[in-house]
This record gives sequence, C-alpha cells and structure tokens, in this order.
Amino acid sequence: MNFKGTLPTLILEALVHEPTHGYRIAQRIKERSEGVLDFKEGTLYPALHKLENEGLVESYEAVEKGRPRRYYRITPTGRRTLTRDRAEWRELSKAVTLILGEA
Amino acid sequence: MTELEGWLTLATRRLSKDSAALVRSEIQEHYESARESALAGGATEEQAARTALATLGEPQVANRQYRRVLLTSEEARILRESNWEARAVCKYPVAKWFLLSIPVAFLSAAVALLLTGGMSPITRVLLAAAIATSLVCVAPFLPIYTPSRARVYRAIKCIVLPSALFLAFGPDSRKLSWLLICCLWLLVHAETTRMSIRRKLPVAQWPKQLYL
Repeated sequence: MNFKGTLPTLILEALVHEPTHGYRIAQRIKERSEGVLDFKEGTLYPALHKLENEGLVESYEAVEKGRPRRYYRITPTGRRTLTRDRAEWRELSKAVTLILGEA
Repeated sequence: MTELEGWLTLATRRLSKDSAALVRSEIQEHYESARESALAGGATEEQAARTALATLGEPQVANRQYRRVLLTSEEARILRESNWEARAVCKYPVAKWFLLSIPVAFLSAAVALLLTGGMSPITRVLLAAAIATSLVCVAPFLPIYTPSRARVYRAIKCIVLPSALFLAFGPDSRKLSWLLICCLWLLVHAETTRMSIRRKLPVAQWPKQLYL
C-alpha cells in the first residue's frame, strides 16, 4: 500500500529523533507501519532530495562500518513543517473516519 | 552489465554528470545494505541480489522523479553557459563598460531620432531595445543577491520585457502577432527553465545568474 503525498511527512517523522541514512529511513517507515507502507526506494531518494532542496532536511557524509554513507537530519524548518503536517493529518483522518465510519 | 548497472543506467538517463554520480552512489549504498540484510536473513547470494534490486522499484519511475528534483544534463549546460557576461568580464575587464554602454547607445540613438524625426517605427524599436538591454546587460552588475531582491527584479522583468516587445511592434502588434508570440514564447521558455533550476538547487548554491 502506498498513500500518495504522505512520503515527505513520513520521512520527516523517521528523522525526528536522530539523523540516519536512506536505507534506515525506508526500514523505519516499513517497520512502524507494520509492513503496510512499503515505498520503493527508487522514489524515496528523490523525495529526500526534494526535502533537502526545500531546506527541510540536511545531508552530510559519514562513515558506517568502514563505508561512506550519506546521512540526513531534520532542520528546524523541517520540525515546524512536521508539526503542521501532523495537525493536518489528524484533522483529515478524523474527517474521513466520520464519513467512512470506524471499522 | 549487472542487473544493478542496468537499473542505474535507466534511472540516471538525461541527468547531469553530478546528479548521476549522486544517484549512483546512494542507490549502490542502498542496494548493498538491502543485500547484506537479505543475506543476514538466510537468503542465498542470488536471492539477496534479487531482493535488493526489487526494493528499488521501477527505474523509469525513479528516473522521472529524479529529473524533477535533480539537475538534468540540459539544465546543467544552461547553468554553465548562462553566466556569459561574468566570463566575458573576467576575461576582458573592459567588457563591463561595453555591456553597460549598450542600452545607453540604444537610448541615445532613440532620443536623437525622436528629436529629429518624431516617433517612427525605428525609434520605437530602438527604445524597446534600450529598455530590454538595460534589463539584460545592467542587471548582472546590480546587487541582486537575495531571493527577495531577485523576486522584485524578476517581477519587473516579467512586465517590462513583454511591454518592450509590444512597444517595438507598435500598431503592427496584431498583424505581427505570430512574431510576437514567438518572442514571448522564448521569454516564457527561458524563465520556466530557470524556475525549474531554482527549485532544484538550495538558495545557498544559486549562482548569480539564477537570481536574475
């Protein structure tokens, strides 16, 4: 399952506690959604670059297990955007639940 | 060619050299992590490679998305070549004064014609040329290096350049509408390309010509 338009918010959420690399971001999203949200990584990185261009995340090089890796961390602007997105999502999901009814 | 190499070739199609290198390094990094994880989960080498490749999805879809956020080869070329005035001024310092004198020359000629023969089609073209060249040739030397100043400059440019075209064509604007549309299309095309490049680069990395 893939909910169009939610990927940037999910990436920001995955980065909120600590900086990490693309593979771990994909794993976190998959694990936390219990395997329901399974974004193809070929689309994860373009989304990360978009967030970087918008100043919501920053990237830097770091070495992990002897391999250079690109790490991403959320910026203060990114945190503000995430707070706003969370509030919007709560409202949206409440409205949809009202229409479709609780399962 | 390995399957990963084939995937990367498709995913990096029409991207600039730097963008393609970035995509290659991050996808290879990701592929290795996915492969190691599959191997740790008990998969054979072949299964692990297949699983890792499957997690990447369709290369064509990735390529479309990459081209939306990273510089394409065409955009990189435009960016390289669009700072012609900076290169010219660096090579020949006198070029700065030559560029600055172009609108003055057009304006002087227009004023001279206006005083001697009144408003004629040639006077209108010279006036329009003076306005257009003053925007294009003088702007690189103005202190436009913040996004807000750049927005103001571009708003002025969006109003003034089409107005200059209408001024040049004068009462023949309707008759020569095809030529007018061609000229306007060129302006729109150039501005759309720059907008796309601006979206793809953080402001801190904007060269001077992107502000204009």
